[in-house]
Order: sequence, then structure tokens, then C-alpha cells
Amino acid sequence: MKKKWYEFGTREVVFAALGAALYGVLSWATNALALPAAGNVALRPAVCIPMFFGVVFGPWVGFISGFLGNIIGDALSGWGFWIWWDIGNGLMGMVPGFAMPLIQNYREVKSLVIADIFVVLGAVVGMGFSSAMEIVTSGIDFATAFGGYFVPAAVTDIINGVILVPILMVAYSAVATRSGR
Amino acid sequence: MLVTWKYKERNTIIQRLDPRARWIFLLCVLFSAIQFWDIRFLLFFFGISLAHFFLSKLTWKETRRVLIFVFVLVVFIVGIGAILTGRGGPGEALTMFRETKNIIWQVEWVVPWVGWTIRPNVSVEKLVFAATQIVRMLSISILFIPLAFTFDPSQYGVTFRGLGLPDKFAVSMDLAFRFVPTLGRDFSITLDSQRARGYEVEKLEGGLIAQIRKMAPLIVPVTINAIVGGEDIVNAMDLRCFGLRKRTWLQKLEYKSRDYVLIGLGVLILAGSIFITKGLKLGDFWVPAWAPGLFGF
Repeated sequence: MKKKWYEFGTREVVFAALGAALYGVLSWATNALALPAAGNVALRPAVCIPMFFGVVFGPWVGFISGFLGNIIGDALSGWGFWIWWDIGNGLMGMVPGFAMPLIQNYREVKSLVIADIFVVLGAVVGMGFSSAMEIVTSGIDFATAFGGYFVPAAVTDIINGVILVPILMVAYSAVATRSGR
Repeated sequence: MLVTWKYKERNTIIQRLDPRARWIFLLCVLFSAIQFWDIRFLLFFFGISLAHFFLSKLTWKETRRVLIFVFVLVVFIVGIGAILTGRGGPGEALTMFRETKNIIWQVEWVVPWVGWTIRPNVSVEKLVFAATQIVRMLSISILFIPLAFTFDPSQYGVTFRGLGLPDKFAVSMDLAFRFVPTLGRDFSITLDSQRARGYEVEKLEGGLIAQIRKMAPLIVPVTINAIVGGEDIVNAMDLRCFGLRKRTWLQKLEYKSRDYVLIGLGVLILAGSIFITKGLKLGDFWVPAWAPGLFGF
């Protein structure tokens, strides 16, 4: 029976919590490790978690994974509370969730491409929202918001997400087959 | 790798307040502060942020990383940007910058090939605007920094449930905080296991795409293990009829009189701000009359 995208039952509650905890811990841990950076793009592998959880479990799980995961990551690192960036990360996980009804087989190239398209959209919408809200609350101008906030965040998230989400989907396909869900 | 929260029990007045009351107050102050561009009003909110910070009894050692980051961001990136461009504020500020005669420094530059003339300048009004921007951003940033250090992670779920979030979302929040130490331990085990196999995450080689792909041996096992374990938790919760009835919580939050006072204060600040900005039409960008005199104008 095909799951509906708006469902939020026991399964979604648990995987939203897992996604949030994973995103928070991996963000904190990969910050703590001295990861190399390539040019201006930082290695932020953790951003693939809310995107992946959104693709597999739906938009609500993706939103909570990103939103709460960012709060947890900031709480672990002592960075305070940045509400617009928490919501932006939530949107970054939520938008790929709308690809869930379009994906039948997690190993098919077509499914991986669809997921990647929604990953790109998610990063643009999520980081765009956060950067736009900085204009309203902090009073920065559009150029600073776009060049100083949106571009570095979105480019990093897109590159990390587009590469790692398909890898996670292929790995998950074996688990999904085994669990029968 | 031990995952520990920055939160610590400090027995301060801030931590004795109901977390719901704190959230309501902080959100009221946030939505009040963003309505103003007059530095005189913004200094009031800056005072509230500083009071919240100091009453939390945080140490420099705990907060220096985030404070240095905020300071650099606000002063150098936003402040200098405001001085040079004057953009980002309300429309009347831009008009003031264009019409001002109080120019401290100006340069004229002709763009090659297209022949455009650009005249960036620094004026008294832009300096005041930069100071206003800095105070505004610092007020908002510092307001929420103490939360990570003073908000008990075990209370997130019951707090947001008390603020009106649906039961299932609140349970998800509680579960997420519960999973953090477990997943931290799993990450540590996976990292050590991969290192024993010759995987060195600090020395990834290759181009950007290759380096990101090489993160997969760290990310994939932790994620898939978590999902497999999650299926057992789902079954356990379903067997205990999760979601069929309204949920009760282990911790019960109760408002005390000081919490009502705090909520009332927050609502008063918000209502007052709306009245001042929308009713009295005050709070727009303001340049002190004595400011030009400081620069000989």
C-alpha cells in the first residue's frame, strides 16, 4: 500500500527523531573533526541527512530532521539559537520529501535523478528563506544576504546533498527490501 | 567521542523560570526589536539581551567561540557593508544618504570600458546607520545565545507541547534528544572501526567530488544502522498503542507568579512596540543632531 506523503504516524515520529539526532550529531562531529575543504566549499556531509530522510520518509520527517537537527547541532556546539536558519534547514529537508510519491525504487537511476532535483530545490528554498529573513530581521541588504549568506550555504548544501543522498538511497534500498515496508 | 550538551545546571533566576515563559518573552522581544530602526529604542532591546546574557551566568570560556563569531560577523561584515553601501535599512535612510552634505570621505572612480562613474562615500549618516545596524544585530543574536547553555534538553518536548505543538511533534523532539548520546557513541565506534581499516577522514584525497564521496564510509553505516534500530523502536511503540490516546508527560511544567510576570512583560513590550511604531509612527532611522558636529560639519 503506497504511503501518503502527509502521514505522520508512529514510524514518522521515530524517524523524524532519528533524523534530527543524526543531523545534530553529525554536524557537531564533522565540525569537530578537521575536515579538509576544497576551495570555498566546505565538507558538510551532515546536510544530506534531512534531505535523505525527507526523500525516504516524507516532508514532515524531512522538516523535523532539518529543523530540530539544526537546533541540536547548535546546542551541542554552543552556537545559540538561530530560528531562521533552523526553519531554513527544515525547509531544506521538507522539499525533498515531496519527491517521495515519485520514487518507486531507490536503486533506479530515474529515482536518483528525481531525488537530486528535489535536493537542489530544497537547498535553494531553505537557504533562500533563511537569507531572506536575515534581510528582514537583521536589516542587511539583498547583496549581502545573497552573496554573504545564500550562495555559500546553498552551494555547499547542493554539492554535498547531490553526491551523498543517492549513495544513501542505494544503501537504504537493501534495508527497505529486508524490512518489507 | 563523548557527546555532551553545553547545558549545565546553574541555579540562576533564568533557569528557575518556566521554559515556556522564557520562550514567549524572548519571541516577544525579538518581534519587537525588528520593528525599530531608531538606535535609542534599539539600545533598550540591547540592554534586555545583555541582562539575559549576564543573568544566565555564562563564562567567557563557554561562549567565546560564538561571541567572537557574532562580533566578527556583525562589526566587520555588516557594519563595514553598511558604511560603504548604506543599504539594508529603511527607504528614508537611503534618501538621507543620497541628499546628505556631511560627507567625511569620498572617492570617484570611473569604470573602464563602460565609462560609469562611481562615487562611494562615507558620511555621518552612514556611520550612524552602521552603529544602528550593529546594535540591532547584536541585540537579536545575543538574545538567544544563552538558550543552548541554560535550556535543559530533556525539557524541549514538554515545553513545546505546552506551547501548543501537537503531541507527536513534541514526542519526536523528546526522542531526538534521547537519541543523541546513542548516535554519538555509534558514530564514534564507526569512526574507530573505519580507522582500523585504514580510513583516515582527516586526510581525504582527490578533488571536491571525490572527497565528498569518501565521506560515505562514515555517513552510510551510521545512518543505516540508525534506521534499522529505528524499525524496532517503531514496533515497540506500536505494540504499546502509541498515538491512540492523548499523551501524558513525565515532567509537568507549572507556571508560577514570576512566569506570569515575565509573560506579561513580554506581551507589554510587544504591544508597546507595535503602538509606538504603527500608532505613534516613531522608531524610524534617526541621526542625532549633534553627530555632524563631531566631524566638523
